[in-house]
Amino acid sequence: MTAPVTAGRRYAGAALDRVEGLDKVTGRAAYAADHRPADLVHAVAVPATIARGEVVQVDVDAMLKRPGVVAAIWHGNAPRLATSDEELAVLQSRRVAYRGQYVAVVVAETPEDAREAARTLRIEYVAEEHDVILRADHPRAYRPENVNAGHPSDTGQGDPDAALAAAPVVVDEEYGTPAEHNNPMEPHATIADWHGDGLIVHEPSQNVSGLRATLASLFGMPPGHVHVVSPHVGGGFGSKAKTLPHTILAALTAKQVGRPVKLALTRRQLFVATGYRTPTVQRVRLGAEPDGRLIAITHDAVMQSSTLSEFTEQTAVPSRVMYAAPHRRTTHRVVRLDVPTPSWMRAPGECPGMFALESAMDELAIACGVDPVELRVRNEPAAGPESGLPFSSRNLVACLREGARRFGWAGRDPRPGVRRRGRTLIGTGVAASTFPALRAPSSATVRAEPGGRYTVRIAAADIGTGARTVLTQIAADALGTAPAAVTVELGDSALPPAPVAGGSMGTASWGTAVVRACEELAARLEAAGGTVPDGGLEVTADTGREVRAQERYSRHAFGAQFAEVGVDADTGETRVLRLLGVFAAGRVLNPKTARSQFIGGMTMGLSMALLEESIMDGRFGDFLNCDLAQYHIAAHADVRDVQAYWLEEEDPHLNPMGSKGIGEIGIVGTAAAIANAVHHATGVRIRELPIRLDKLVR
Amino acid sequence: MDFLRPATWAEALAAKAADPTAVPIQGGTDVMVEINFDVRRPPALLDLTAIGELGDWELTADGLLRVGAGVPYARIITELGDRLPGLAQASRTVGSPQIRNRGTVGGNLGAASPAGDAHPPLLACDAVIEAESAARGTRMIPATGFYLGVKRNALEPDELIRAVHLRPATGPQYFSKVGTRNAMVIAVCSFALALHPGERRLGAAVGSAAPTPLRARAAEEFAAREFDWSGATALDPALLARFGELAAEAASPIDDVRGTAAYRRHAIAVLARRTLTWAWNDYRGKAAA
Repeated sequence: MTAPVTAGRRYAGAALDRVEGLDKVTGRAAYAADHRPADLVHAVAVPATIARGEVVQVDVDAMLKRPGVVAAIWHGNAPRLATSDEELAVLQSRRVAYRGQYVAVVVAETPEDAREAARTLRIEYVAEEHDVILRADHPRAYRPENVNAGHPSDTGQGDPDAALAAAPVVVDEEYGTPAEHNNPMEPHATIADWHGDGLIVHEPSQNVSGLRATLASLFGMPPGHVHVVSPHVGGGFGSKAKTLPHTILAALTAKQVGRPVKLALTRRQLFVATGYRTPTVQRVRLGAEPDGRLIAITHDAVMQSSTLSEFTEQTAVPSRVMYAAPHRRTTHRVVRLDVPTPSWMRAPGECPGMFALESAMDELAIACGVDPVELRVRNEPAAGPESGLPFSSRNLVACLREGARRFGWAGRDPRPGVRRRGRTLIGTGVAASTFPALRAPSSATVRAEPGGRYTVRIAAADIGTGARTVLTQIAADALGTAPAAVTVELGDSALPPAPVAGGSMGTASWGTAVVRACEELAARLEAAGGTVPDGGLEVTADTGREVRAQERYSRHAFGAQFAEVGVDADTGETRVLRLLGVFAAGRVLNPKTARSQFIGGMTMGLSMALLEESIMDGRFGDFLNCDLAQYHIAAHADVRDVQAYWLEEEDPHLNPMGSKGIGEIGIVGTAAAIANAVHHATGVRIRELPIRLDKLVR
Repeated sequence: MDFLRPATWAEALAAKAADPTAVPIQGGTDVMVEINFDVRRPPALLDLTAIGELGDWELTADGLLRVGAGVPYARIITELGDRLPGLAQASRTVGSPQIRNRGTVGGNLGAASPAGDAHPPLLACDAVIEAESAARGTRMIPATGFYLGVKRNALEPDELIRAVHLRPATGPQYFSKVGTRNAMVIAVCSFALALHPGERRLGAAVGSAAPTPLRARAAEEFAAREFDWSGATALDPALLARFGELAAEAASPIDDVRGTAAYRRHAIAVLARRTLTWAWNDYRGKAAA
C-alpha cells in the first residue's frame, strides 16, 4: 500500500500563485511562435480543396518566380519519411483523405509572401465521391478491436435484452453530440531548425517526450538528435498531445530548404488538422424496478474516424463504472469517413458518454417518480460494476448530497414547465460526473546546490493548468524546504522523459517521480551528513516499476453537477443562471489552480451544452463554421454564476500526494445537468446537443 | 493591395472616383473580417478614419439629426441615445465594447449584411442615407431603397456614405433581437419598431430574416388602420397577434446554421408583439400623463 505523505506536508494544499504568472501577464514568457532564429523563413501549408481523390499536378514553376518565394514542397519532391502510419505520412502520397489535408507547403522570406504564394499555387486534382456524414446505421460501421485508452470495444454481463423486456420501467432513447473543436487560446505553431544531424523544434506541446520519439522515428534518427522546446503552452485541451501534420511539415520543410522554418497555423486551420471531438450517436437503455433500482444498462455508441487512422472515442466506457445493475452491455462502433481524424478533446469518452447516460438517468427519475439525486444514490455500486474491483475511493453520494445542500435542491418540485419568472421558465437539473485517476511511468531529476537551492527537471508540460506550480509545491514538501528554494524546469525533451499532459494523469504521474527523486536525494543528503557537496548532488527517479506494480483498484474521481437555467418561454433563448459542482478528487494540491480547472471544465461544459457545434458541410466535406465568429465558445458574459467545491478525500491507493486528476472531470456531466434543467424548465427533452433555440420552439 | 488614406472628404471622393474598386474602411469590423477570411481581396482599401467630420453629428436646420458615417456605435449610445433610442438599442447589441468603439453605422450600411443590427431601426425610423460622389455631388437615398440584395446596396461605384439623416424620435422606439447568447453573436433575427403617434402610424422592420433587411409594410398599414392612436386604450390581444403575424409574413427566412426558417418566422412574431407591447405601454403612459 502506498501511504500518502502527510507528515511534513506544508505546501501541497496551499493556494500558491502560479510561479510563472508574472512572466505570463507581463509578456516575458516566450511561446513557440515568439522564437525568431536567424535566417528564418516562413512556411504556409496548402490545404486540399477536395475531400477525396488524388493530386495529379502541382504547378510550382510560376509560383517559384514570385518575389521572396524560397521553395514549394509537395509529394513529388518531399523528403521521404520512415512511417507506415498514414496520419504521419505528410506529403508522402498523392492521395487526399479529407478536405484540408496538407498537400503542399510554400516557403518564403516573409509570412505575407508565403501566404500569397500558397494562395496562388495551382494544384490539379482528380476528385472522387466523398462520404463525410456520420449515421448510426452507416453500412460501414464496424467494431474496432479496442477503443481509445485501450478499453475493449464491447463488454457485457447477464442478459440485458431479456432483462429490459421484463423490466417494469424502461428508458430507451437515442442521444447525439456534435463534432466539437478544442480551440485552445494559442494557435498551434512550429519553429523547426536543423543543426547538422539534429532537429530543434519549438512547439506548444502537451507531450514533449512523445513528440521527440515520433519525430526521431519519422526522420530516422536517434531520439537524442531531436530537441523539443515547449516551456509555455497556451492551452491544449488534448489538441497538442499528439504529433500533428503541421509539425512534421515544418520539420521536413526546414530539412529541405536548409534554413529554420516557422509554420504558424491560423485559427481556421485549427479546425482542420489539429484534431476534434468526434460526433457521437448513442443509444442508452435503462431497465429499472418501479423504485428506480436498475436491472439493466446498455449503452451503444457510434463514432467516426478518418480513412487514415482508427481513433474510436471510448464513449460508452463511463457506463461501465457509474451504476450497479446485474444485466449490462456497452458497445462501440466506428465509421471511417473522408474526414480529418478525430482526437482527444477534454474528457474524451466520459464527456459525450455521460451526456447520454446522465440524460437517460434523468428520464428514468421522471419515469419512476424518484428524485434524480436519490435515484443515483439508489444505484450506487459497492465495487466496480463490471470490473468487480474495489474502488480506491468513491464519494459520488457525498458529492450529490453536498451539492444538493449547497445548491438548495431540497423540496424541488419535479414537475416540468411550471416555474415562471416573468416570461422566463426556470428549471434545475443534476448530473453525476466521473473521470479515471490514472498514472503513467515517469522519470524526474532533482538537484541540490550547496546554497540550499533545488532544481527539479522533468519533461512535463504546463498547458496553463499550473503544473509547474504544483510540482514546485510537491517538491518543496518532499525536500522539507520552501517553494521559493525550488525551481522546476519542464517543457523540454532534453529533460528526464515524462508522460503526456493528458488523461488527467499529469500531476499524479509526474508528482510521483518528483517525490521519489526528492526522497532519494534527502536520504543521500542525510547519509552524507546533511551537507551538499561542492559540485551539488543529483538524483534521478524512474517510477516505471512502482506504477506497474500498483495494486489493482478501480480508481476514479467523482462529482455532481447542478444547474439552474432560464428559458424564454416564447423564443427559447436559454441562459444558465447557476452552475454548481462538487467533486471528490483525492487531495487537492492547490485550491487556486484547482478551482480554475474545475470552473474551466464546467464553463466548457456550458459551452458544449448551449453553443459548440462543428457543422460538417456534406457537399464540400469540410467544417462550415471554422472561425470563432461562427463557432461560439462561452465567454464571461455567458457564465453568470459558476461555483466549484470539493470534498476532503483521503485515498491511500493513489500516489504519494493522494491526488486524483482534475483537468477533465469539470466538463463531464455539465451538459447533461443543463439539458436536464432545460427539461425541468420547459418540458422539452433535448437529446441532441447543442440546445439550440429552434429545438425548444417548434 | 493599395492602402489609401485621404486627409479630407474631398480627397476621399476623388480617390473613390479614381479607383471605384477601392473599398472604404472605417472601424474594419466587417471589412477586415472578410479580408482575413479571404472572402474578398479588394485592390485597394480607402481608409476614412482620418477625416474628422465623418465622426461628427449635428442637428440640421430642418430638425433632422445628421450622423456622420464615422460615428461609432459607442457614441450613438452615449450621445444620441435619448433622441435615437431605437438605433441606440440596436447599437448596444453590436459585438462587444471593443467592437462598439470601432464599428460605425456607416460601415454597417456599406457592408449591407442582412444581419446588420443597425438596419432595422434605420428602416423603422425612415432614415435617409446621404451619399456623395465627386462627379455628381450629394444624393439622398431613403433606407427603404438602399438595400438591394445580400451585401448589396444602392451606392454607385464612385459614391461614399457621408452621413445618415434621422428625425429625433417622435414616439417610443424599440429594437429586439434573438441570438444564441446576448452578445458576440450574429442575430438569428431582429425587429425594430418606431411609433409616430403624431402621424398616427408606426415604422416596423425585420432583420436577418430575408436577403435584405426590410420593412414590414403590411404590419405598418395594419397598425395605422386598426390601432386606437388616441392612446386611450390598451392594445387588443387580437390586434397584437395579427400585428405579429403580419410582421412574420414580411420575412422570407431560410434554414441556416443559426436557425430554421420556421423558428425565425415564429421569433419575428414574438419580437414584433414584444416591442409593440413595450412601445404601446410607453405611449399610453405618456398619453395619459
